[in-house]
This record gives sequence, structure tokens and C-alpha cells, in this order.
Amino acid sequence: MVGPLHYLVLAALLFGLGAVGVVLRRNALIVLMSIELMLNAVNLTFLTFSRFPLVQTAPTQGGFLTGHAAVFFVIAVAAAEAAVGLAIVIAVFRSRTSVNVDEFDTLKF
Amino acid sequence: MEVSWLHFIPLLPLVGAAINGLAGRWLPKAWVYAVALVVVLLSFCMGVFAWVQVARLESDVAQLRELVYTWFSAGSLRVDLGLTLDRLSGTLVLVVTGVGFLIHLYSVGYMDEDPAYWRYFSYLNLFVASMLLLVLADNLVAMFVGWEGVGLCSYLLIGFWYDDDAKAYAGRKAFVVNRIGDFGFLIGIFVVYLYTGQVSFQALKVAPLSLGVASAAAALLFVGAIGKSAQLPLYVWLPDAMAGPTPVSALIHAATMVTAGVYMVARLSFLYVQAPGVLAAVAVIGILTAFVGAIIGTAQMDIKRVLAYSTVSQLGYMFVGVGVGAFAAGTAHLITHAFFKACLFLGSGAVIHGLHGEQDMARMGGLRRSGLKHTAITFVIATIAITGILPFSGFFSKDEILARALNTRSFDFLTLGWQGPRLTFLGPAIYALGTLTALITSFYMWRCYLLTFEGEYRGPREVHPHEAPWVMTVPLWALAALSIVGAVIVLPGHDLSFTWEHFTEGVFARTRGAAPAERLPEIVAFAIALAVAWAGFGAAWALYAPQLALTGEERLARATPGIHKALVAKLYVDELYDRIIVKPLWGTARALWRIVDATLIDGLLVNGPAQLVAAVGSVARRFQNGDVQRYAAVTALGVAILVYVFLVRG
Repeated sequence: MVGPLHYLVLAALLFGLGAVGVVLRRNALIVLMSIELMLNAVNLTFLTFSRFPLVQTAPTQGGFLTGHAAVFFVIAVAAAEAAVGLAIVIAVFRSRTSVNVDEFDTLKF
Repeated sequence: MEVSWLHFIPLLPLVGAAINGLAGRWLPKAWVYAVALVVVLLSFCMGVFAWVQVARLESDVAQLRELVYTWFSAGSLRVDLGLTLDRLSGTLVLVVTGVGFLIHLYSVGYMDEDPAYWRYFSYLNLFVASMLLLVLADNLVAMFVGWEGVGLCSYLLIGFWYDDDAKAYAGRKAFVVNRIGDFGFLIGIFVVYLYTGQVSFQALKVAPLSLGVASAAAALLFVGAIGKSAQLPLYVWLPDAMAGPTPVSALIHAATMVTAGVYMVARLSFLYVQAPGVLAAVAVIGILTAFVGAIIGTAQMDIKRVLAYSTVSQLGYMFVGVGVGAFAAGTAHLITHAFFKACLFLGSGAVIHGLHGEQDMARMGGLRRSGLKHTAITFVIATIAITGILPFSGFFSKDEILARALNTRSFDFLTLGWQGPRLTFLGPAIYALGTLTALITSFYMWRCYLLTFEGEYRGPREVHPHEAPWVMTVPLWALAALSIVGAVIVLPGHDLSFTWEHFTEGVFARTRGAAPAERLPEIVAFAIALAVAWAGFGAAWALYAPQLALTGEERLARATPGIHKALVAKLYVDELYDRIIVKPLWGTARALWRIVDATLIDGLLVNGPAQLVAAVGSVARRFQNGDVQRYAAVTALGVAILVYVFLVRG
């Protein structure tokens, strides 16, 4: 039987994978994709707690709908973020001919 | 009597100063002269008009008053800009504007070649305005404004040729020394206000004061007078003030400003009579100053310095006068001195002008016969007046002071310390020293005249002495005439109705103590005074007779080598002050600058925090390396720690 713990462990693994990707990968596109991965890990957590609510008296049979709403928001924001992020990557590539994040370090002291 | 036009008297010269100061640079020269002269002359005419009115009124109510406006009021303190013209201040207004006008006129000739003549006349007008405010003020605060104003003008005019370092230094010295005195004056005003809540003379006259408060206030105000009127120990600025143009020396450093201290004591006579100990101190300081000034004057070779020390000495006499409670005698000497000393200074100015800037009497001589006839004659008249030879003004005014000092009994109830001897000897002692000083005065003034105007010309061949233009000789003659007729107001007959003493009866307070005793018959005192004056002339003639040239000076130097050297060096007072006051002050200031200011404040308190921030920043900025992934890693680490702390452990 698949319980909430399985989902949560999967979400944690995805989040950790995403975080490691953000921190370690040099390619900006991969970094953006890793961010997507983290966001979706969060989505999975939301849905887990909607499906398996911690309180016994959930308003509907499927659990709380608040989690679903939050997930839709996250997806929308993630889409917008991906659009802006890709636009920035293209703009930077035009001036630097590179998409390596570790080369973009001019914003410092 | 209330009037509404009194403020024009000081305002007119102020307007003149503003016009010449702001626009004089672009005005034609004749206009500058016209403005400067006309405003003072108008002031003088208004002064005469006011004076005549005051002279007609009964003597104890003889006042014109005007409340110009309330200057400021805070709590119980109310300071009006009020003017009072009574018989004392009215007469002084005439002296200030009258002598002032003559000196303005003289300056037209003297300063004609100076490129900054407009600045000079602006300062001179400003001085007249300040002096008139000082004289007319009806309260201590307004008087202080005038007091500071004349000090400022004195500073500006001493350092008039400011591109000469020595002259600029003399100006600063005068300002700083005056500042010391003014500090006392200001504290004196505070004391008066603290204990009476009043600053106007009218109110203070009736305010009850304890002996201690009256003495403290009188003494502190007198400190101001010591500075302004160049008394011991603050007289050192006046001889150096001769760095200014000579008409300035005549107007400010002889006739008017330096007598402000005497005027102040006379104006506040009601306060000073409540502090007999302070009056005694005034008299003692006065006579010591008179003596010291006179003996230094005997050895100076710079003609203006001789006159400067003479001024110090004569101011001492005036303080003796007011100190022994003879306020009328002291102020009468103030007036006669203004005439003859201005005449002497202007005479010396004409000599300096005629010799193209020469001030050393060693390079003068014979000027009476080589062209400077008017100067010589007026100089001799003024010399007769100052040395106290009958019948010119100086004889009567100086003799009156000495006679009153001799006969005074206002010190009889004072003792030296708590249980010391009574001060009955003070009056006669002052008289004795004053008579000796009169002898020395006569000696150095005749020495000055003989060295300058008699004998053979000792200057360089290429300088041809020439007489000054008429704008300079006319004031000389006018002042010489005043030196003679000035005697009228100080004639000794006590029942004459036009004497100064009678005229100012309602103005001055009476000293405590018994009525004056007659310790010497009047005629004997006169004889002594006259004998002393002639003896001084005799001594001067013996050493400086025309055919002797400078040999007399050498004989004197050989006869008393130590004393003469010390006198030439002005008794080393400047050196002494330099050693015990100026140098330590410089040292302290330097230490404060180096240690407190530069190290402690600048180094530790101002730059310290900045350096601390910079040090922290140089470490902290290593964390901001621009690598987004590093930031993300640190953020993730931080979140992990927070999660651990709050969720796992908490």
C-alpha cells in the first residue's frame, strides 16, 4: 500500500536533487530546470497533504482543495519564472556568448 | 524729556559707513570724502542742538531720552535700544563728533594717496557710529554693543595695512587683549542682571545692591575698562596700535575710544560709589599706569610711541580722577585730553607725512624752521597743555585730579585686609606719585618736541620736509585752539556757574565717606604743579637743548645704563607676557591640538568608527563574490540549519 510517506520521501528526493542541481550545475538552462524540479517537489508535497490530510474531518472525500489551489499557483508562477529566466539567459548569452552561471560574477563588491 | 530724533545721531555715521563700505569702491573720490565728512558734521550739528536743549533744562532732570525699540525680551529680561543724552553723554557726543569731524577732515589730506581710502573712511564712520552708541546707550547691553563696535573698528584700523605682517599682528594683539577685558565686562553685566534683574541705568540707579554684589559687578566691569582704556596690566596693546594710520591713533587711540573705560566708570558712578574698595583699586591702578606709562615714554625714540605711552599715562590720570570719586574731574580731563592729545597725534602725523613716513625722532630735528611752522606751533601749544603749564587746559584738569586725590577722604574707612592699617595714606600717596608723574610727563613731552622741531635736521639729505596741506593744518589749529579754550570748563573757581563740575552736578553720584579735607592750600598745590611742569621742561632743555642734538640721549644712556636700557625695551613687559602667558598658551594649544584633537577626536572618535567599519567590510565582502550558485548553496545551508533548529530539535 502506497502511503503519504512514500510521496513525501519522493518529494524530498526531488527537492534535494533540484537543490544540488541549482548549486552544482554550471549551465544556466540546467539550473532553471533544477529550479522547476524543486518547485514540482513542493507541488508534490502540497498534493500529498491534500490527499492525506492530517486532520480526520476533511471537507471533501478527496481531502482539502487548498493544496490543489496552491499547486495551480505554483505552476503558473513557475511558467512565468521559466519565461523570464529563459529571456534573461538569452539576453546574457548575447552579451557574454556563454550560459555558464559561474562566469556571471560581476555583481559583487 | 522724550524725543524721537535722537537715534539719528549714531545712525547718520552708520549710513555713511554703509555707503562708503558698500559702494565707495565705485564712487568718485570726492563723493566718498563728502559722504564721510557730511554725516559726521550732521551728527555734530544734531549733537549741538540736543546739547543746547539739555543745557537749558534743570541740571537734575537734564536728559533727552528716546526708546528706539525693544531690542529683545526673554522672560524677565527686557533690553531696549534706548538712548539717553544728558549733560555728560551730550558733551561727549560733541567731543566725539567734533574732534571726529576734524580728524575726518585731516584724513582727507593724510590718506589721499592710499588706494583703499574708501575702506578707511567707511571704518572711520563706523567707529564714530559705534562710539556714539556707546556714549548714548541707556543700558549696559546696548553700551556693550557700542563697546564691541569700537573694538572692532579699532582692530580693523590698526590692521588697516594688513599686507604688512607686523601691522596685522598689532591689530590681532589689540583685539585679543581687548577681548580679555571685554570678557570681564560681559561677566559684570551678567552679575548685575543676576542680582537685580535689570540692565538699564535708570533702573539700576535705584536697585538695592549688597556691598559684595556691587563690588563684584564694579570690579568685573572695570576689567573691561582696563582692557579698553589700556591700564595696567592690559596696556600693552595701545603702543602697538600705533601701526594704524596716524589720524586713527588720534581719534581712536587717544581722543575717544580709549577713554570709553573712564566714561563707563563715570556713567556707572552710582554703582562704583557703592563699592569703595573697587574705587580705591581703580585709583591705584590708574596712578601706577600713569607712572609706568610716563617712565617708558621718556626713552622711546618713535614719535608715535612716545605719544602712545603718554596716552596710557594720561588715561591713568583719568582713572585716578574717577577712582577718588572726582567723576567730574576725571571726565573733564577726558575732554581736555581729547583736544590736546588729538592735536599732538595729528601734529606727529603731519611730521610723518612731511618726512614721507619717517617716525624715528633721531632722524628729525629742526622741523620748525624747515617748513612745518603750523605743525610746530600747534604742537607746542598742545605740549604746553599736556605738561600742565598755565594757563592751558591740561594744567587745570590734571591739577584738579591731583588735588582731589590729595584731599579725598573716601578711602578713610577702608582697611588693608581684615585688620590692616587704614587707607588714609592712599590719597596723599597718589598725589605724590601723580606729581612725580607730572614731572616726568613734562620731561618726555618737551624731549619729544625739542628732538622733533628744534636743532638741526638730522634726516637723510634726499628727504625734504614739507608742510601739510590746509585740510591737515586747519584741524591742527582748531584742536590747538580747543586745547587753550578747553581750560574754561575746568577753571578752579567752585562757584563759577559754567564749570564742568557745576554743569554735571546732577549726573554723578557722591562717594561715601567724609567730605574732602584740605590737606594743602589750593594756591600751594597750584604752585607745586606749576613748578613741577617747569622743572620737567628744565630737565628736558638741559639734555635736549637745540644745540645738543642727540648727545643728551647718549649722556642719559651712559649715566643710567641699566634703567635706560630697560625703559627702551619697554620694561620687558611684552617679553614677560610672552614668557608667562603667550608661550604656555601656545604650548597648551599645541598639546590640545596634537593629543586631544588630532589623536583623540580625529583619530579615535571620527576616523575610528570608519576604520572599524572598513575592517569589518574587508572581511565581510569576501562573501559577496558574485557567484549565484555560492549564494544558493549558502541559502540552502541556512535553511537546512533553520529546519534542523526549529523543526527537528524544537
